[in-house]
Amino acid sequence: MKIVITGAGIVSAIGVGKAETLASLQAECSGIRPLRYLKTDHHEFPVGEVQLSNDEMCAILGIDPSKQPTTRTALMGMVALKEALEEAQLQAEDYPTIPLISGTTVGGMDKSELYYLDFLENDSRNEYIRTHDCGACTEMIADHFGRFGMLSTLSTACSSAANAVILGAELLRSGRAECVVVGGSECITKFHLNGFASLMILDREPCRPFDESRAGLNLGEGAAWLVLETEEHARRRKASSLACLAGYGNACDAFHQTATSADGEGPYLAMKQALKSAGITPAQVDYINAHGTGTGNNDISESTAIRRLFGEQIPPVSSTKAFTGHTTSASGTIEAVICLLAMQHNFLPVNLRFNNAGDCLTPVHKPTTKPLRHVLSNAFGFGGNDSALVLCNTDSTESTCNITTKQNRHIYLLSATQISAQEPLSEAWIDNPIPLIEPLTRSREADYKQFIPPLEARRMGLILKRAIATARTASAQAGIDIPEAIITGTGLGCIENTEIFLDALCRQGEDQMMPTRFMQSTHNTISSIVAINLHAHGYNATYAHNTVSFQSALLDSMLQLRRGAINNALVCAHDEMTHSYHALLCKGGYLKDKYATECAVSMMLSTENNGHALCEVADMRILYRPTEAEKQQALDELTLNSQFSILNSQLDLFGTNYTAPAIDLYAAAHLMKEKPVVVEYSDEKYYTLILLRPCSAC
Amino acid sequence: MEELILKLKKEIIEVLNLEDIKPEDIDANAPLFGAEGLGLDSIDALELIVLMEKNYGIKLQDPNQGKEIFKSINVMADYISKNRTK
Repeated sequence: MKIVITGAGIVSAIGVGKAETLASLQAECSGIRPLRYLKTDHHEFPVGEVQLSNDEMCAILGIDPSKQPTTRTALMGMVALKEALEEAQLQAEDYPTIPLISGTTVGGMDKSELYYLDFLENDSRNEYIRTHDCGACTEMIADHFGRFGMLSTLSTACSSAANAVILGAELLRSGRAECVVVGGSECITKFHLNGFASLMILDREPCRPFDESRAGLNLGEGAAWLVLETEEHARRRKASSLACLAGYGNACDAFHQTATSADGEGPYLAMKQALKSAGITPAQVDYINAHGTGTGNNDISESTAIRRLFGEQIPPVSSTKAFTGHTTSASGTIEAVICLLAMQHNFLPVNLRFNNAGDCLTPVHKPTTKPLRHVLSNAFGFGGNDSALVLCNTDSTESTCNITTKQNRHIYLLSATQISAQEPLSEAWIDNPIPLIEPLTRSREADYKQFIPPLEARRMGLILKRAIATARTASAQAGIDIPEAIITGTGLGCIENTEIFLDALCRQGEDQMMPTRFMQSTHNTISSIVAINLHAHGYNATYAHNTVSFQSALLDSMLQLRRGAINNALVCAHDEMTHSYHALLCKGGYLKDKYATECAVSMMLSTENNGHALCEVADMRILYRPTEAEKQQALDELTLNSQFSILNSQLDLFGTNYTAPAIDLYAAAHLMKEKPVVVEYSDEKYYTLILLRPCSAC
Repeated sequence: MEELILKLKKEIIEVLNLEDIKPEDIDANAPLFGAEGLGLDSIDALELIVLMEKNYGIKLQDPNQGKEIFKSINVMADYISKNRTK
């Protein structure tokens, strides 16, 4: 099966749309400039800002900002998505069958940092409490155009958008969709500008990737989208292909929260896997768009990884971050679109401001015309979340997303454990439930000393300790030491540290450097710290899409297990809640009359039943704003009208939080008897179903 | 100097959340980083840079400077006493 790209849209510091972007790339015109749009004290750092104000973007999009809350990330996302949808000639009536997958980490932080003190002190900006999380950002982008069939959001820091492409491709390969819209969006905020400054990795000059004199990165911003579809679907609707997505890889460096290992293990594995899935050899790669941030650490470790994989025959390499700045979560698709332009117009993008390589490899530093058949685009993130994409020319016959189809492999739930309002790491709640009486009940903690050495534990927030304790317990129960994949869903991520950092930023100003807090504020910290603890270099991803975060993680694992890409996966769901953030969510209307709780669930899925499986995870659905008829149809398809019982949320025992559906699945697996169980979740926007079958019926 | 060394030990224990360690457990000559000493890492170095600025008014712009200055408590105390602005 070929996956073709039929539409692409981009906005970044070097232009709005592909035409401007291409012109800037070919004229070697960098978008790194002094700060103009972000209100911050840090004018010493040059940035790659999109040269449009929020009002100007609203005007382009026909949005009245006084009538609806908007965030800069959402607006940039809409501007870029418009271009992609128009090029692909998709119509609004097509959208309900199309999943839209985005990547972001910042989400609505631009407004949260502006209005945080208002959130706490008055009711003037309550509508922006709801726009904070990553999922809300994806909803705003998608809803501007119509109703898409499914939404989800990857949040793996700087590889988020690349991982959105990967999930989209998996949805196509599974047959669950014939067309997907994938991309990412991220604006610069004071929050992460200060965070990166606290890590001392921002250059005060325009950045110099791979150069000996490099002294850090410049933050950039932007958005980019791709419309992907099966070749067959594109042919049927007579859409022309711009290029193909030939392969992809995702691996975890499992080394450090903010640094890459010296041997570049994660980047090496991600690139190697990408080439393998594309069915090409290193010698067939015509160009590598490097992650190339300009930090001392990234560029040398990426050089090492490329040398390990390509040996003596290193293809032309360049980093286009000297043009755009580091567009963080959006960089995966921004650079994929840049690769697409390079392929369409037969040129190698120049690595600007390069003089001496030092220990790094020598990038392309002169304008070069070259026909490109296969290009590799790297996107690496904090926590060692490393991904790589392979694009190929439409007339390339050598490469395809080859599948060794084992689509019907069974998926068993080998173990599942929790830390919540009930007795931790135990099923004592079945006989001795602890009633919830407070509006917010924080979790009953386990003894973490047995899981985490003191030197590591000292700077971990509770959410990370719970993640490691549940992951190690679920792994031990399943008899799997190192899972082949670790996939986490989290609605709000590490909200405690995020809040502390934000509070200091808003009250004490921008000279409060808090590297440890910042490092722990990204959503993917959870999945990556589990990978570091378990030494797991396999697939690693984090979904942050409010109430369907866990279901997205589960779906991702099921797609890969079904087709035999992996044999087992640790699927996790984590959300923490502070009393102060709880008060904000109540104000924002999220938690009306509900018992709020925290969630930590880890479960091991495997395609092999070790004889002790709790049940089979048979199938699932995620629907966005479905009609009643669509809900019924989904339920009928899932159960094929066989006998089953429905399990609704276990509110009285486990309360409510973004990832509560994970606790529901956990509870259902431990409670189920002879009949299949459907774990149903429903709110005003989402409807999800998970079908569990007892092993006796497998 | 002894006073500064003790103060520094207390500050480091607090900032780096070294829960089970007391000032007298830290050898002022032992390396702060790596397995032979306290076992601190690059993130701790960033926190120490923040500590130097907040408590002693010393601003380091290059994280590599930290490698020399944070060799041990004694080296750090010596650098602070020579360069402090508060």
